[in-house]
Amino acid sequence: MRDRPSGFANPWLQLTLSVMCVFVSELLLKRGASDTANPAQAWSWTGVTGLESPLVWLGIIFVIISFISWLYVLRYIPLTVAFPLSRVVDILVPLGCWFFLGEAISPRRWCGIALVIIGLAVTAKPVARLEERL
Amino acid sequence: MTLLSLVLILLALVTFVGGQLILKRAMESSVVHGLRQPSFISLLGCGIFLMTISFFLTLGLLQRFDLSYLYPFQGLSVIIISVMATVMLKEKLTLKLTIGALLITAGVVLVSLS
Repeated sequence: MRDRPSGFANPWLQLTLSVMCVFVSELLLKRGASDTANPAQAWSWTGVTGLESPLVWLGIIFVIISFISWLYVLRYIPLTVAFPLSRVVDILVPLGCWFFLGEAISPRRWCGIALVIIGLAVTAKPVARLEERL
Repeated sequence: MTLLSLVLILLALVTFVGGQLILKRAMESSVVHGLRQPSFISLLGCGIFLMTISFFLTLGLLQRFDLSYLYPFQGLSVIIISVMATVMLKEKLTLKLTIGALLITAGVVLVSLS
């Protein structure tokens, strides 16, 4: 791993920013896509009909922000580390639905969330040790 | 699920994985050669093109299926990207990273099944 900047330019901070933006965009895109769902329309399979929804446009802005910070992350962190860690968003989305929207989470889903957290810990641990050495 | 939607799901996955690998390579070349190299710009363009295709395919799929239904396929991307990054980008895939990627994938699939 290369010398890496600190403060706002810290790649781990940027990874967090990227993940948070993906989290927000996923919720916005799903809402927007559902609002505009009309499978009978021509071209609907390409997804472009979703552009009728302002929520989709807002989601796209978050996607672009997350994309720029993700590109920055890729300069410093190997894909085999950064990508699995970025999937923390897969547990943030159901947790966000539970916390903000009051949706129920079944025991099986809690088990899945636990597995992802263990997987993230296993992935992040060798990285933390590498950081200490630097 | 029709054959068309299966093809679209796989296409969205393949373009996503390809886009990520190309972008990673683009950013690595930018570290060595700077941001104005033609090779960097064409790689970045290629990566963005693939990610855009994947984005709209996913949006189209979201109009038809629940997010939870599409999640297992996103989960698979962790494994595929880890393997492809090792093969194509010569990154080191340690045992711990492999176990981590498998656990994350299993977790994502379990979350989407419930």
